[in-house]
Amino acid sequence: MRRVAIIGTGQTRHARCRDDASQPELVREAAAAALADAELRPADIDAVLLSNMELFEGRAFPELWAGEGAFACGKPCMKVATGGTSGTSACIAAFHQVASGLFDTALVVGFEKHSEGHTQTGMALTDPFWDRAVASGALGNFALSISEYMTERGVTERQAALVAVKARTNAARNPHAHLKSPEVTVEEVLASRMLAHPVRLFDMCPQSDGACAMVVASEECARRACSRPAWVKATATRHEQPYLGDIDRRLCAMRTLRDASRAVYAAAGIIDPLAELDVAEIYEPVTYAELAWYEALGFCEDGGAGRLIEDGVTSMDGALPVNPSGGVLSTNPVGASGVIRVAEAALQIHGRGGARQVDGARLALATGYGVYAWADAVVLGAEP
Amino acid sequence: MNVDLHGSIGVAGVGQSGPSAADPRSIPEMVLDAVERALGDAVVRWVDIDAVVTASVDLFDGLTASNVAVTEVIGAVMKPETRIAADGLCAAIHAACQLRAGACRTVLVVAHGKASMAPRAAIEAWAVDPIFLQPLGVNFSTIAGLEARLLCDRDPEAVERWGHVVARRRADAAPHGVAAAVAPEDVLAAPVLASPLTQAMEAPPADAAYAVVLRADGDGLPVRWVAAGHDLEAHAPGDRPLSSRPGLRRAFDRACRSAALAPDAPFGLLEPSCRYPHEEDLLRQVLGAACKSAAISPGGGLYAGDAPCAAGLGRLVDAARRLRDEPRLGRALVHGAWGPAGQGQAVAILEAAP
Repeated sequence: MRRVAIIGTGQTRHARCRDDASQPELVREAAAAALADAELRPADIDAVLLSNMELFEGRAFPELWAGEGAFACGKPCMKVATGGTSGTSACIAAFHQVASGLFDTALVVGFEKHSEGHTQTGMALTDPFWDRAVASGALGNFALSISEYMTERGVTERQAALVAVKARTNAARNPHAHLKSPEVTVEEVLASRMLAHPVRLFDMCPQSDGACAMVVASEECARRACSRPAWVKATATRHEQPYLGDIDRRLCAMRTLRDASRAVYAAAGIIDPLAELDVAEIYEPVTYAELAWYEALGFCEDGGAGRLIEDGVTSMDGALPVNPSGGVLSTNPVGASGVIRVAEAALQIHGRGGARQVDGARLALATGYGVYAWADAVVLGAEP
Repeated sequence: MNVDLHGSIGVAGVGQSGPSAADPRSIPEMVLDAVERALGDAVVRWVDIDAVVTASVDLFDGLTASNVAVTEVIGAVMKPETRIAADGLCAAIHAACQLRAGACRTVLVVAHGKASMAPRAAIEAWAVDPIFLQPLGVNFSTIAGLEARLLCDRDPEAVERWGHVVARRRADAAPHGVAAAVAPEDVLAAPVLASPLTQAMEAPPADAAYAVVLRADGDGLPVRWVAAGHDLEAHAPGDRPLSSRPGLRRAFDRACRSAALAPDAPFGLLEPSCRYPHEEDLLRQVLGAACKSAAISPGGGLYAGDAPCAAGLGRLVDAARRLRDEPRLGRALVHGAWGPAGQGQAVAILEAAP
């Protein structure tokens, strides 16, 4: 496969309500930042891929209106939309389109403006016969699966709270993040409002307004334009049954993420991910999911995630920092959240992470999560 | 998967469900029907499919991440699936990119649209600029009327000609489509949709699902995928010339460059996604000499039934079948469009095997 790399990234300021910017303006803010980071002009971009979930804002074909913000006029442009994985899937689509030889450069822009819609309503439009009444939105179905996960693996509320503390503390070092709480404590997390047992307010991701963009380039272009490209070493996507009741032990098994991660590890030559990866940006919509993902991603054995977070293995000074950006728990414009994961992983390879930089990061994992159990995995490296 | 790609991409199989004015089946049932037909046509099994690319639009389906409705019936459980929210031909273009990239060897492309359960005019109104245009009640039909009016002002005989074009398309589509044939004078006498377009000039909305199997090692197949191009125009109607289609021009030029074809290289078959007759004029403007001797929509094109955002893949299905049946046609241009006044444009070039 033709080599491709990420040579620039850009993000907006993410917030609960960005009423200072329309959707196209948010898109432009991120797109312009990514181009500036790559030291390219709009004319240097061959194609554009957008990601967004239109029912969250109630706009049909939002890319038709917001595409101009991504400098897409007069260029090949299409939108990828697969729920939470929209952003990672749009990145993978861009990798494939550039790798096909059809384009030398592609701009990916993910965006969402939850403040202009009603996200819970958008997420309630699941299967109308079985799921809508009992498992709509992110909260209800996660509460069910988390209870099962806690029972089977012995994960505790306190261990989940440690994930929340790590995320919000890391986010304080990220100038783009939505929720920043450098002083938050485990006790405060455990004292936060119960939403649906066992999930508390501080366990959940926010709804954010924001956008994130990246420039993807062919090998020739990347070597010419970027001193330290983030090379795409492997990608994988796995989708799962659409009815929650058909998914066996969802968080415990998470077979999509297990399979996708094993596929990218094999393609990238990774045998021991905990030892070999330098940093991971994983899509964790709720604290307990991060723990379940540790197990699915092979960072530890099944049942070992609680110990991993207690030992600080995934904190900024641990063996494998997970989500230096603060993750989805701190910033969540859904159409952009997957792009942010890949962009933050690329930023680490670029060595431009600022206060959230992991020293010497050369191999990074980014993942996407969507619907009930869809998964994307991407491995980036400092070497092709 | 990392496929060492040699040779060309081939259209291995096609299938469709509908078009129907109101299919009583659910979307998954319609899609499964189309997919099983395509797999049967390609003589492949579910396990032979490496990846799936789908096209659908959430607001038409009333379902967030609307591909969630079809994950099982497209065989995407534990497989890579990419869902494009645009015309179905874009899904095929992305699938061809995956094949060219060597990411997979066989891709299933699926698009569905069920107009009977969607308030199309309302959804299309929600697709225009919410600040300046939505408050005016603008939708895709009213913008099409503006385009047609501009063409009429230059050519006073255009409307009468369109009456004949629509009558011809409807007659060709009637045996397998959702609407009856209409005489040219009745096309012109129908109630006004958006002056000068009449309601009979609009392709009838329909329910349909289409499926196509594309294969990397397509040299031995009767129909080859040669090249493609797509483009996004400016959004505001006031920001672009409505009496021409520069976006279609760019998409076509990209496809020709990619195929190393001269822009006037002749096509034997055109399968355009023209919802209104003036759009054929705009297409002819772009293609010029390339379409002089081409058969245009022999099956009636979208007048057989216009399934929202599935139509472009439907054109691909029709073109592939016709090239297989009539290889003497040689080269076909397939066209998809989405958005107001064809803001999004996509074309693909197919060739019959020599």
